[in-house]
Amino acid sequence: MSRDQPAPLPGQSDKIVQVENLSKKYGDNIAVNGISFSLTKGEVFAFLGPNGAGKTTTVEILECLRNPTGGQAKVLGYDVSKRSDQAEIRKRIGVLPQDFNAIDRLTVRENINYFGAMFKHQLDADKLIELVDLKDKRDEQFKKLSGGLKQRVGLAVSLVNDPDVVFLDEPTTGLDPRARRDVWGVVERLRSQGKTVFLTTHYMDEAEYLADIVSIIDHGQIIASGTPDQLIDTHGGKKTLIIREAGEEGLKQLPPGLPKAELRNAGDIAIPLNNGELTNILMSLGQTPLHDKEIEVRRPTLDDVFLNLTGRRVSEEGN
Amino acid sequence: MSRIITIIVGHFKSWYRSKSNIFWTIAFPLLLIVLFGAIFGNGSTKFDLYLQNQDLSANTPTPYSQAYIGVLNNTGAFNIHMVAAGQTVQQALDFVKNDAQLHNRGQRLLVVPAGFASELSATKKANISLYFDQSDQASQSLKGIVFAATNSYASNLSNSTTSIDIQQQNLVTRNIRYIDFFIPGVIGMTLLTTGVFGAVNTNGRYRELKIIKKLATTPLSKIEWILGMVGYQMILATISLVVILFFGYAIFGVTATIDFYTVGLVVAAALLFPGIGMVLANFVKEAESADAAANAITFPMMFLAGTFWPRETLPDIMKIIANFMPLTYVNDGLRDALIYAEPAQALTNTIIALGLAAFFIVLGSILMNWKEE
Repeated sequence: MSRDQPAPLPGQSDKIVQVENLSKKYGDNIAVNGISFSLTKGEVFAFLGPNGAGKTTTVEILECLRNPTGGQAKVLGYDVSKRSDQAEIRKRIGVLPQDFNAIDRLTVRENINYFGAMFKHQLDADKLIELVDLKDKRDEQFKKLSGGLKQRVGLAVSLVNDPDVVFLDEPTTGLDPRARRDVWGVVERLRSQGKTVFLTTHYMDEAEYLADIVSIIDHGQIIASGTPDQLIDTHGGKKTLIIREAGEEGLKQLPPGLPKAELRNAGDIAIPLNNGELTNILMSLGQTPLHDKEIEVRRPTLDDVFLNLTGRRVSEEGN
Repeated sequence: MSRIITIIVGHFKSWYRSKSNIFWTIAFPLLLIVLFGAIFGNGSTKFDLYLQNQDLSANTPTPYSQAYIGVLNNTGAFNIHMVAAGQTVQQALDFVKNDAQLHNRGQRLLVVPAGFASELSATKKANISLYFDQSDQASQSLKGIVFAATNSYASNLSNSTTSIDIQQQNLVTRNIRYIDFFIPGVIGMTLLTTGVFGAVNTNGRYRELKIIKKLATTPLSKIEWILGMVGYQMILATISLVVILFFGYAIFGVTATIDFYTVGLVVAAALLFPGIGMVLANFVKEAESADAAANAITFPMMFLAGTFWPRETLPDIMKIIANFMPLTYVNDGLRDALIYAEPAQALTNTIIALGLAAFFIVLGSILMNWKEE
């Protein structure tokens, strides 16, 4: 089948990825344990979990780099386990492997064209360079770029065949905050262009910021799925009222009858909020010496969701 | 095909943009040639001359032949190396060829035939035979001295009525100087190092950088990737060959013949050494360790496989080990083809090198992990 013909998606043309009961074992070690999920056209999907949870194994099965031990996975309607289907998948997907580096001594443009030449059709390198905002570095050799810029080259390379779905495996790991934001900017541009993006990450804020749908994976199993809001609403726990830098003294000054408050780092007081309680609490605080303190309402994050679901937090390094 | 060309171009650009690559592939071999050529190139100022005295009486040289050799020796122009009298001329020539090569001497043989003394005393006429390469400048000079010494001997015998005729026999094989021997060795060494390290780099380091993983997610196949690497190695091998031969010719006047066997050997080397590198890169996963393993393989091969000096000078056990080294056959084949003009031996070595090349490139390709499994 040529690149120009539509991929066969019998009856479910908007399902870009369909995974059912997928497993992968390495000897006795179960890396992926019977997971199921699907990805709809135009979605940014985040596979969120700590290191070793099974994210990369799953994404590499979808990229036809590994064979599943059990279950089924289809990408664009093609079965990842069938050799003939794998060839079709490879033509249509874009991949940014974890820790990817392009070829050191080729320039940005040459690298894009190098990987583009592997496909029958490739997008114009200059347009991709523009998309990832690397116009000034176009003729710079890859080895001379900073980590963030290198990652943007990787993104351009992953888009060179105008893929139907882009797999980005931990695209911001090891980058400084600014470089991470730049990569996020590129993903947002992809979303606005209607691209389907499959993203793995251990950064909770990244998934929350970028993803339409998040699946949380831990020990090879998906423990929750939904939009970030749904996950937070369902598993994030209560909102918290924070009184900034009130200290122990502030605890004593709290009016009676409030939910149990706790003192956090930097002397912040945290009060869990039940629905509809906020106005009453604020009014009662107005009667105390705490009325001139800075007050904010903190919404739970995916960090809280992960904590509530697993009893632990994921570190910056992903452990 | 366009994918393979892209890979070749990618490798080639990466190669010429790296100063260290250029140094090791081009400058280092040329430096070696200059160094070794300067140290060993000129050799002794005396001419090497093999001499077989067949004119014996009761197993000792006759006084006539003894005196003649004495005259040659007294010229001070020759380093005379005696060849056993019992051998036929062909055996003597074979011995000279091997021994001269072994000691980096010129191949010239003077045969004083049986009956030299009796002919001289009976007819005042005698023949001797001088075997040498008539195209070789040094041998031409040597010939002049031999003629002068022989005339002087003859005239001293009996008031110039005696004549000794020197039969000149051309030797098909050429006189091989050290530099002639060394240049094909440098080519072999360069093919070895660029091939092994090139493959270790592209298959070890590119794996670490996830370039291979990325390529495996595209329509590129493993075979195309390997063909791209081999194509690049062939270009590099051709550049090395041309640059080194040109340099050898320009500086040391080394004349080489590029023939069908040379092409066969370059093809073999461009498959064989990357094949070895691929096997290494698959057994030693970390790029740095693979580099160390490549050094551990290439260095002994370089020294034992007759790159810098003839293998005949090695201890017996080392000679046996050298027989198992693929570089041995590439070096020997290149010498046979480029310098010695020995098509039969070149063919044998080319076939062995191609056989080894097929084995290693297939093994390397099978072992190479294209996907992650």
